[in-house]
Amino acid sequence: MTERHPETEIAPYLRGDLSAGERDRVAAHLAGCARCRDDADTFAAALETLASDIAQIAEPDWSAYRAELHRKIAARRDRPQTSRGGWWSPRIAWASMATAGAAVAAIVLILTLSPRTRIGAPPVEQLAMADAIGGADIGLLRDYPVVEHLDLLENYDVIEHLDEFTPTDTTNEKRS
Amino acid sequence: MVQSDEELCRLVAEHDAAAFEALLDRHQARAFRLACSILGNESDAHDVSQDAFIRLYESAGKFDGRSKFSTWFYRIVVNLCIDHKRRNKWWRKMVPFSTQDDDLDSPPIDPPSPDPGPEAIAISGDAARRLRVALEGLSPTQKAAVLLQSEEGLSSREIAAILKCSESTARVHIHRALAHLKKTMRKND
Repeated sequence: MTERHPETEIAPYLRGDLSAGERDRVAAHLAGCARCRDDADTFAAALETLASDIAQIAEPDWSAYRAELHRKIAARRDRPQTSRGGWWSPRIAWASMATAGAAVAAIVLILTLSPRTRIGAPPVEQLAMADAIGGADIGLLRDYPVVEHLDLLENYDVIEHLDEFTPTDTTNEKRS
Repeated sequence: MVQSDEELCRLVAEHDAAAFEALLDRHQARAFRLACSILGNESDAHDVSQDAFIRLYESAGKFDGRSKFSTWFYRIVVNLCIDHKRRNKWWRKMVPFSTQDDDLDSPPIDPPSPDPGPEAIAISGDAARRLRVALEGLSPTQKAAVLLQSEEGLSSREIAAILKCSESTARVHIHRALAHLKKTMRKND
């Protein structure tokens, strides 16, 4: 059977909700499909059992139920308008905002007064080191033409085999 | 002359106490039973169905008459039940050993597993009770959908209007609910 199973139409079929065309189509399918027939039988039994089970639910004492309901309605009606907004009443809103503002102010104060975060002059040693580093940088930049021709660093083979080179006579090179 | 639910609702909006009493007469039992079958216990159903009538009393003016009164009112009941179950679910996660619904007459609202324990099945025995236990494995929406069909005899179109979804979605909810009940019942046979 290549026809799709009319799964979601079975419950409406049982209730008689389907149009004539749909009903005939589902009925024809059920006649030839054991699986859907089984679904239909089980669904019908379940719906019937649920309906009869629900009908057996014990009803409350309606006069007490209604008296309580009227008390609840009266209590809501008599409640002051300002407190009807639930937990987000204006009074609570102002208190929450005041608390939040105080908390933010306290955090800012702590951060400002904390010795670790205080903005001030750096220690003398730190300044000296910064000067030395800065000076070195400036010196390097002054000798930029030299730096520019340090293509030795680009030739990594040379670096890897430095220990294989034999010392040369540098004095001859200077003469030439 | 018997007034329609819709006319009574309009009178309730004008603070007509007699109209409210008339609607209570007509709908209190159905609202309570529906809440009881969705929530799984009478105590919660008592409170939630009363809340639904309080909403009706306070919001009758919002009923615009475009749908049937019963659709509008049962939407209130179902929504309150679903909200209640969701709140309760959260609470039960925090307090897993609550004893409120531990007896077999009122199965737990949100048991840790949709499958009832072997003792529960052995003690309960009959199909209705097993079905009630199996119901607890459904989502609140699936449960509401299948109960609205079985209990209220509503069409999938009316159920869709109450659940505020399309008719095909309502049919899917009902089918999934029934398929789950079938599977659970078969597993326990």
